[in-house]
Amino acid sequence: MMGNLFSYFYQFADVFSFLVLSAAGLAIIFGMMGVINMAHGEFIMCGVYVTAATFHAGLPLPLAQACGTLVAALIGMVLEVVLIRPLYNRPLDSLLVTWGLSLVATQGTLVLVGSTFPGIGTPGGGFEVGGYGFSVYRMVLFAASLLVLAFVYLLFMRTRFGVHARAVMQNAGMAQALGVRRSQVYALSFGIGAGLAGLCGALYAPTMSLIPTMGASFIVEAFVTVVVGGSSVLLGTAPAAAALAIVRTGLNAWYGQIIGQIGLLIAVILIIRVLPDGFSGWLAKRES
Amino acid sequence: MLNLLNGPQTMGRGRVFWICAALVLAAALVYPAFADPYDVGNFGYFLIWIFMALGLCVMWGLCGMLSFGQTFFFGIGGYAYGVLAIILGNGPAATIVGLFGAVALAGLAAAVLGYFMIYGRISGVFFGIVTLSFTLALAFFLGQTAGPEWAIGRARLNGFNGMQGMSPLSVPWFGGPVVLEETALYYVLVAGLTATYLLLRVLANSRFGNVLVAVREDPERAELLGYDVRRYQLIAFVLGSALAGVSGVLYTSWGQFITPSSIGLPAAAMPIIWVAFSGRTDLTATLVGTFLLLVGFQTLTIYSQETALVVMGALLAATILFVPRGFVVGIGELLARPRRKRLAPALSPDDARP
Amino acid sequence: MTALLQVGRVSKTFGGFSAVSDVDLSVEEGEIHCLIGPNGAGKSTLFKLIVGTYAPTGGHIRFRGQDVTQAKPFARVQLGMSIKRQAPSVFKALPVRQNLHIALQHHTAPDRLEREEERLLELLALSADAAKLAGQLSHGQQQWLEIGMAIALKPTLLLLDEPTAGLSSEETRHTGELIKRLNAGGMTVLAVEHDMAFVRQIATAVTVMHLGRTFARGSVEEIVADPSVAEIYLGVPHAG
Repeated sequence: MMGNLFSYFYQFADVFSFLVLSAAGLAIIFGMMGVINMAHGEFIMCGVYVTAATFHAGLPLPLAQACGTLVAALIGMVLEVVLIRPLYNRPLDSLLVTWGLSLVATQGTLVLVGSTFPGIGTPGGGFEVGGYGFSVYRMVLFAASLLVLAFVYLLFMRTRFGVHARAVMQNAGMAQALGVRRSQVYALSFGIGAGLAGLCGALYAPTMSLIPTMGASFIVEAFVTVVVGGSSVLLGTAPAAAALAIVRTGLNAWYGQIIGQIGLLIAVILIIRVLPDGFSGWLAKRES
Repeated sequence: MLNLLNGPQTMGRGRVFWICAALVLAAALVYPAFADPYDVGNFGYFLIWIFMALGLCVMWGLCGMLSFGQTFFFGIGGYAYGVLAIILGNGPAATIVGLFGAVALAGLAAAVLGYFMIYGRISGVFFGIVTLSFTLALAFFLGQTAGPEWAIGRARLNGFNGMQGMSPLSVPWFGGPVVLEETALYYVLVAGLTATYLLLRVLANSRFGNVLVAVREDPERAELLGYDVRRYQLIAFVLGSALAGVSGVLYTSWGQFITPSSIGLPAAAMPIIWVAFSGRTDLTATLVGTFLLLVGFQTLTIYSQETALVVMGALLAATILFVPRGFVVGIGELLARPRRKRLAPALSPDDARP
Repeated sequence: MTALLQVGRVSKTFGGFSAVSDVDLSVEEGEIHCLIGPNGAGKSTLFKLIVGTYAPTGGHIRFRGQDVTQAKPFARVQLGMSIKRQAPSVFKALPVRQNLHIALQHHTAPDRLEREEERLLELLALSADAAKLAGQLSHGQQQWLEIGMAIALKPTLLLLDEPTAGLSSEETRHTGELIKRLNAGGMTVLAVEHDMAFVRQIATAVTVMHLGRTFARGSVEEIVADPSVAEIYLGVPHAG
């Protein structure tokens, strides 16, 4: 009985952390800049590869993961300046440019690194509740997803960057008149978004086999979480991830992975039919 | 109706343009007399994809809906044809039922998905990522169908290896049915593409096309002119997606196989690249540009498929950064400019006439 | 006789803010009815309720004897409403002629379209600019083009949201003449307007709104003579 209950929670936590971690970076960039970063999956892949490479070079796993996160963030900032900056206020065009980037990154990695890369074994071992076995590392991932949400909250509510970022989000023109440099805020936001994508990859690196196209296995979940959540990470991504995780966990348990994913998409189109502005739009409206 | 072949939604309207177009068509018609059947079949292969590019041009270029789901409907069309052609067997009657059944299924899927998105007021970037999510999910799903339980009648879906062994399209002809392969398929494709192109031109310049353009420019204003905007969007979405279904059926029939990889990434990006590179607002540019890119892509693929895809990705980014209206449209405008200047007094009132 | 447009006790709240409350308005056939009131009186919100951009939180709207309270904007337009919005909203990237064409093609047989376009272009003094993109026109010309698109629908009720905003006095006078001519041809007009001289020039009936409510209704003379109306505009209590 205890084992059964914990098993449900464990599966929910597993799906929830996957949704939060894979969507957080995408949601920050979308919420701040209105840009959907189609290369999101490739920033995740970058996090995975850098983590694996530095790990194999001898760094302990947590440090390797920090490297993966930082490298993705730096690349993100550079690319924001080069590719996104010319396209401010053209959200569809910046989406297409990042899609081009995504193709170049995936296929370029295939050319340069090849189609396989040595993986990392999952650390942490297992534990038992009521006769069922569970992985410790999955619980670490769940904790990490909560930490990411807390980080985003502190970043936006408690830092100078957060104040500037919220000002730009509300009214870019007014914020600029008050001395906030929009381009600086955007470059940092894109860097943070890319860094969170890198972190997602770094965290999942020990659980997956490494191929250059692995980004694609994250983006459907990231997309639908952002679509359902809307433009705010705290008011949108977190509740959307929780709601979708419940749907997904239930369907997975009763009908299997395939029905789980299809059911997830059906839930998504039903939710957007009812809540056109996503969870954050709906919550914001209720508050006002 | 013929006067609608020319209008504000289509470039290329002078006598010179139509003479060139007729010459291109004539060259395409005599081509098989000078080429070996393999090359003719390969040429036909390029034409197959242009249907879905034209469909995207209608949705995105005319109506402003950027759908990333062309390969979703391509896949539905292709797999549905595969299933029907295996169940129903060969011969004109069976395969033509397969063709229409598969395209109808793609259209129906577009109507259902489109209804929820358009009436759920999904637009802009979200329209793209919702359609792409469905596309990737379909590819993922079909990749999981390797087991024998994933079969419809005798038709096995076969997971990543894809379906094969369906009968190719055939048509009744004087002296017995003809299986559409190589030269025969080529002629059907040339005829079908010509008809589709001309009909879409008429549609683009018709009352319907004018409404689509109004919806693209300002949906709210269009609604206040009395147009049921969402119905027009849905019709355009179903039409464009059904054309992707047509490409799917033709592709499956051409090679007698289809796999999930023609649905997922990077395949899903290809229609966007063709149409963006060509110039999404114009059907002729899309037709020409898509053909050129397909030829170029195949040439590069001989050396390395990955490199070819890197080039395609870079091309997409370069188009958006440097020529957002599209390369072929840009060249078309350059070609048209000196002529128009010279003839300006005689032409100008006519030029803008819908 | 029932009114052409009957707005009954219509309200609209945004969050906790009540933009329009219990407004009554009736527009009779043949009128040029002006809706006036200080800024923030709810005139534009009322217009958006009439045309269906907003759904009311209470009350009903009847047009040509039909309840249209829940009807979509396009359905109201198809019933015979037509609107020129406050900021000129023409299709800026399309040629002037195509702007008119898109509006005209509703009610005009294909073979008469071109003649109708020419007629409208002449009426709007835009014949020379027919091939220009609408976005290249001056502000005043865009206002006129949008009025042209609104009347191309051959509406029974023409709604004009500040038709003279940003126009020169010359252009304003022309606009007034155009509206009177259309009215003489049988078109009922409801206009939101700030310019009292313009209201005097055209209005046959006036409704005053204040703080989201109907404040007064009457002929131009009655409204101008009403001391309480001056009071809400000037913000000072009327002495005597």
